[in-house]
Amino acid sequence: MKVTITEQDEIAVVEVTGDIDSKTAPEFERNAKLATEKSQKIAIDLTNVEFMSSAGLRVLLMVFRNIKSQNGKVILVGVSEDIQDVMSTTGFINFFTIVGTLDEALVILKQD
Amino acid sequence: MMESKSFPGNVDSLDSLREYVGELSQQAGLAKKPTYSLKLAVDEIATNIILYGYQEAGLNADFAVLSEITDKELVLILEDVAAPFDPLAKDLPNAKDLTLSLEERGIGGLGIFLTINGVDEFSYEYADGKNRNKFVMKIAAT
Repeated sequence: MKVTITEQDEIAVVEVTGDIDSKTAPEFERNAKLATEKSQKIAIDLTNVEFMSSAGLRVLLMVFRNIKSQNGKVILVGVSEDIQDVMSTTGFINFFTIVGTLDEALVILKQD
Repeated sequence: MMESKSFPGNVDSLDSLREYVGELSQQAGLAKKPTYSLKLAVDEIATNIILYGYQEAGLNADFAVLSEITDKELVLILEDVAAPFDPLAKDLPNAKDLTLSLEERGIGGLGIFLTINGVDEFSYEYADGKNRNKFVMKIAAT
């Protein structure tokens, strides 16, 4: 798994490539935390993530709480059907905005 | 006849474990969605074995995947030599917990919830000094 953070107009974009499991989740968490420290507006691009276990859900929970406490906003991008099913089963899906492309996420985040 | 494959008890094994579960699912003719659910279930239980059964206890050991494919089902057993641990003995999140806002909910038990939810049958036994976590996936008739 690889994580990169880029900044575009005060929006931090966290792009993940690869599987998020209990081996790789700490690296995802470290970067996601860094992003929430840089910006209140975050896009997490999961287009290139095929697999995410509950270790990844824990990181999303952390991001949600950090962003909420700063009155910010987080948008998830390109979440696979399998991962959306898991988010739905666990009730996580109701708390996140999910869009198909990074451009859509940037448009929404810039509006706020 | 059960097939058996062993993996070193550390998180580096999770990748190849999921790949192996994918191969078995393909051999069994499992569809894409149940294949993902099984990979997730096995990953969650293996993670518990590795992090708590082995690492936290300072135990350096392998775990094994036993499997059997029939016309009707794929049976997979994770076998480890850690101290007895029944994942079903823990309190699982209930329907109300899962509707709680993310600010107020605890995160414990989510992995085991996903495991039970994702497979057709899940059971646990401790026998001959080994934990045996068993997963069964029914194969849809085509």
